[in-house]
Amino acid sequence: MKKQDLRIVIVGGGRVGLRTARTLDNRGHTVTVIEEDPIRSDEIADEYIATVIEGDATKPSILKQVGLEKTDVLAALTADSGTNLAACLTAERYGSPIRTVMRRTDEDSKEYEDLVDQTIFPERAGARAAVNAVDPGTRALEDMIGNLEILVIEVTEDAPVAGRSLTDIGLPTGSLVVSNADGDRIAEAGTELEVGRSYVVATEPDVEDEIVRLFRG
Amino acid sequence: MSEAGDRQPEAELGLLDATMIGMGAMIGAGIFVLTGLAAEIAGPAAILVFALNGVVTAFTGLSYAELAASIPKSGGGYAFVREIFDDLASFIMGWMLWFAYMIAGALYALGFAPNFLELLHVYGVVGPPDEVSAVALPAVGVDVPPAFLLAFVAVFLLAALNAVSTAAAGSAETIFTIIKVSILVIFVAFGVASPMFSGAEFQPLFPEGSGATAILPAMGLTFIAFEGYDLITTVTEEVENPRENIPKAIFISLAATVVVYLAVVAVAIGTLGAEGLADAGEAGIAAAATSFMPTGLPIIQNGGALIVFGAVFSTLTALNAVVIASSRVAFSMGREGQLVPSFGQLHHQYGTPFIAIVASAVVMLGSVALPTQSAGNMSSLFFLLSFVIVNVAVIRLRRERPNMNRPYKMPLYPAPPILGAALNLVLTGVLVEYLIRTDPLALGLSIGWILLGGVAYVALNRYRARTDTEGETDTDSDVSPVTDD
Repeated sequence: MKKQDLRIVIVGGGRVGLRTARTLDNRGHTVTVIEEDPIRSDEIADEYIATVIEGDATKPSILKQVGLEKTDVLAALTADSGTNLAACLTAERYGSPIRTVMRRTDEDSKEYEDLVDQTIFPERAGARAAVNAVDPGTRALEDMIGNLEILVIEVTEDAPVAGRSLTDIGLPTGSLVVSNADGDRIAEAGTELEVGRSYVVATEPDVEDEIVRLFRG
Repeated sequence: MSEAGDRQPEAELGLLDATMIGMGAMIGAGIFVLTGLAAEIAGPAAILVFALNGVVTAFTGLSYAELAASIPKSGGGYAFVREIFDDLASFIMGWMLWFAYMIAGALYALGFAPNFLELLHVYGVVGPPDEVSAVALPAVGVDVPPAFLLAFVAVFLLAALNAVSTAAAGSAETIFTIIKVSILVIFVAFGVASPMFSGAEFQPLFPEGSGATAILPAMGLTFIAFEGYDLITTVTEEVENPRENIPKAIFISLAATVVVYLAVVAVAIGTLGAEGLADAGEAGIAAAATSFMPTGLPIIQNGGALIVFGAVFSTLTALNAVVIASSRVAFSMGREGQLVPSFGQLHHQYGTPFIAIVASAVVMLGSVALPTQSAGNMSSLFFLLSFVIVNVAVIRLRRERPNMNRPYKMPLYPAPPILGAALNLVLTGVLVEYLIRTDPLALGLSIGWILLGGVAYVALNRYRARTDTEGETDTDSDVSPVTDD
């Protein structure tokens, strides 16, 4: 049976790693962070969003402490591609089956595609935010909304809201279904949430996990 | 714009709130319902029973503090065990803890009913509790004892309330607990001042015949009176500054509860005597209070009524707390794929773990047919077993995850978890032996629940094997903010 919450390991509790951990925790997933620096490790533990393992994630003895056999996804997000690649490869060796996401430091997205499931290049999103600030007349989406998350979220078959209209469901305060399935109309009371279609939902961080649980099961 | 959400999200809980959640759960149960039963088994040594249970449970409290500070999950003991044990062991833990809470719910409902009847009696609405006649149910053609009916209705109403509303219990719980403790403080103050207490007789301390060994089964029975810290850890994610406040809340609530218990039990035995207390059973404290509280007061008339009201209020709020706690355990198990997935689903309109609450309520409603003592025995038994596993989890985590960041590390490791596990096992053994002699029904049902768990586990694995082959993939990648890498 499909598990509803993912077990996620994040390698590197730096700015990218911590931000990622926070967002995933908000969605109700179980997160473990591996962080080498003791001071940073305490800071992350203080946030109470993830279990923290303190150590060098390229060492199998450290990586194994996250319980790889139960982990669904490992995201290696340190600033060093060597460390990230080593962590992904070690995880694939010991974890079964595990998805690996690797942060790369060069623009070429093809470089690691045979070795890990997905690579990301967070600097591009950072650059986009910078461009938005420099040229605010034309803004890309991700930087315009303080703490709100704007999600494009697909309704699963088992989801509590599947097949129901917006009048029938109770959404928590701090959330709003913005558009209908096609993304060309603003949602209204009669809008039906169809299985397999995606909807744009705006949500405050507090209730994001509930939204994910209602739409994704 | 479309429908904006209108349900209120949960509030943040401070140290006081977290402490009061723990105390609220403990103080509702043990003191009002179980004091009489403990006195029946152990005589005046019931005081020792509560003191020693406080000591035993403190070791497990340390384990909970360490786990809760380092594992940020709101599933209580089940979440911690799930972290380090394999599927079967964590399933057993969840299955037992879920049951422990549900039976605790039945116990509190059964404690609520006679106290409620007593309250009605004090104001002359009905006759003395033992003279209230059975309520005839023409529909099914049987007569039902009023206490059973009241317990049933209480569980039904609270479960229904929690099924359709997520009104955060946190801050209200703080006020409730302060009311409960205040009432007990009044009880202790008047009791100590009463002439009955000055001539108090605590000798012989131990009952004749069984002697000092009688306190062991009484400890087993009343162990449930200290289960509150698991409840604190079911709400950790809502607590501010949790890695400091959770351990503090656990220790403060435990210490304060022990103090309150000892004072109340001493007064109850000092005024009513162990025998009188034993005769009053679930309404022991209320009976003690009516014996010495002043009468002829304005509005409430009888001072004893205040204490009886405290008992009614406490059992009801504790019942509410375990309705929530039991459904949270079932919900966590559902989300982990350890119960059918619908247990882990929120209701589309109410936003509550609807199926988990309904399933828990069904078991509780069935369980109110049990004798109070059997409910106490079973609930204590399953809490004891769960706590053994929690202590072992601390040891395993220290060995297998030496590098885990532990914001709170217990002192004198490994002594506390080893002692905690060992003492809980001893009490389990004593309780089982006691059940074999006196309460085969409770023992049989307990074994039955574990066997049922085995069947459920096998069936679930079959179901999982089937659905896994049907549809792979479907990971979280479909939930993405509007931005691409």
